[in-house]
Amino acid sequence: MNCEKCQDLIEDFIDGSLGQEDQAKLNLHLEECLGCADVRNDLQAIVSFCREHRGEYSAPPNERALWLRIRNMIEAGESVPASRPARASWGSWISRSWELSFSQLAAAAAAIVLVVSLSTVVGLRRWQSGDAQFKASGPDAGLQVGAANVRDRVSQQQQLISYWNQRVEFNKARWNPEMRETFDRNLKVIDQAVNESFDALTLDPHDEVSEEMLNAALNEKLSLLKEFAAL
Amino acid sequence: MKTRTASARPVHPRARQLNRLALCALLFVCGTLSAGITQGQQQLSKRYPAPKNVRVVLKNISGTITVESWNRDEIKLTMILESPKANVAPRHNGSGLTIDVMADNPGRSDIGDVNFKLQVPVSSSVDLETKRGQITVSNIRGDLVRAHVSLEGDIELRGISASQVFAQNTIGDIYFDGEFARKGTYQFQSGKGHITIRIPAESAFHLTAAAPTKQIKLGEFWNDKFKNLGGGRKYEGEVVDGRSKVNVTNFNGSITFMRR
Repeated sequence: MNCEKCQDLIEDFIDGSLGQEDQAKLNLHLEECLGCADVRNDLQAIVSFCREHRGEYSAPPNERALWLRIRNMIEAGESVPASRPARASWGSWISRSWELSFSQLAAAAAAIVLVVSLSTVVGLRRWQSGDAQFKASGPDAGLQVGAANVRDRVSQQQQLISYWNQRVEFNKARWNPEMRETFDRNLKVIDQAVNESFDALTLDPHDEVSEEMLNAALNEKLSLLKEFAAL
Repeated sequence: MKTRTASARPVHPRARQLNRLALCALLFVCGTLSAGITQGQQQLSKRYPAPKNVRVVLKNISGTITVESWNRDEIKLTMILESPKANVAPRHNGSGLTIDVMADNPGRSDIGDVNFKLQVPVSSSVDLETKRGQITVSNIRGDLVRAHVSLEGDIELRGISASQVFAQNTIGDIYFDGEFARKGTYQFQSGKGHITIRIPAESAFHLTAAAPTKQIKLGEFWNDKFKNLGGGRKYEGEVVDGRSKVNVTNFNGSITFMRR
């Protein structure tokens, strides 16, 4: 299990709606990955706090409308990166009647920001350590890297890429049309390099050259997105 | 034999008048067009005193960059700004000149191209970046030549003798014509384009060249010590004693070495 999948399942885990098989896999990953364990602990602490203090604060006027607005904002934020259908359990998680007070809701919103930041930091660290490990291990070690490891690493890098891609998309509307077209055209070239290397690795998981090219192309894409997120 | 030329033909006065009118109209149209073109542009030029080994840092957003050496201890900066005009505030100190179009225009993503021409002392180091546009550097013999086009634009480095050379773009050709210095570092990377490296026959370097298209031509620099990896997608080896390091990567295009 990788960090992305794990963090998807943490919500269900805290909710208590996770199947036994998934729970076993998740526990195994949480034992190995300190970053994800931290995320789980933080989220669990927030939810416990909310449950324990339920009803202690007076509800703000028009509480239902406020909650709907927050829910809409959360859903809008979640729908951008993955463009995949929302999970049923996530829907039930949202639609639960929590009866939260205004200050609890504010705390929850702050916690969401905290969790997202933590996930990003964890992702960044994993990516950086992975990259450093790859550089330090040299070409001979590359032969020992299995297809699953490559996929995991690609998936981790894709998380970062999708984070920076969101930031680029947010700013893109302000660029002049020529810059937008040029950027899209160039990103396609890098994507092509990524896809070709990935396809070659799928055919031969021990193909050292393809792995190097894949790493170089992914790093290139990431640095381009970072650069243009600031434009 | 008698020939009849056009000049000998009698011209009707009315036709002559019409010709003059047409000429005037043509001149008017040309004048209006050229005024329209130049109206959107502004040219600025400035000179700065510089030591022989001055460092020039230029970060552009969009537009061409041309750097050439001259036999003076000063830098001449010429810029042509297209509309909407960018703010450009070069910062000059004793050791160098820095121009950062990005930093000078925070929050402005719609500025027009800025085309730069720099004339610098021959021993200068130049660090050039643009997101879009061609970079040309000629006859520089300083420590560093760096040309980075984040997106699209050719890179031409001619007459270069620097201990560190970095050239990178995503779409566009890279052409290097120069010398590799002892213990120097040379990196060339393109996403899609042709990379051509033209160096003296006696060059000595350690080469790592990778191109998934398998279009790697080492020409006269090929020798049996080269390792062929990935069925011709990557070559690694030494030419003579490998005193400098050369790294060339092309994701989709060719790599060609030529003798100077």
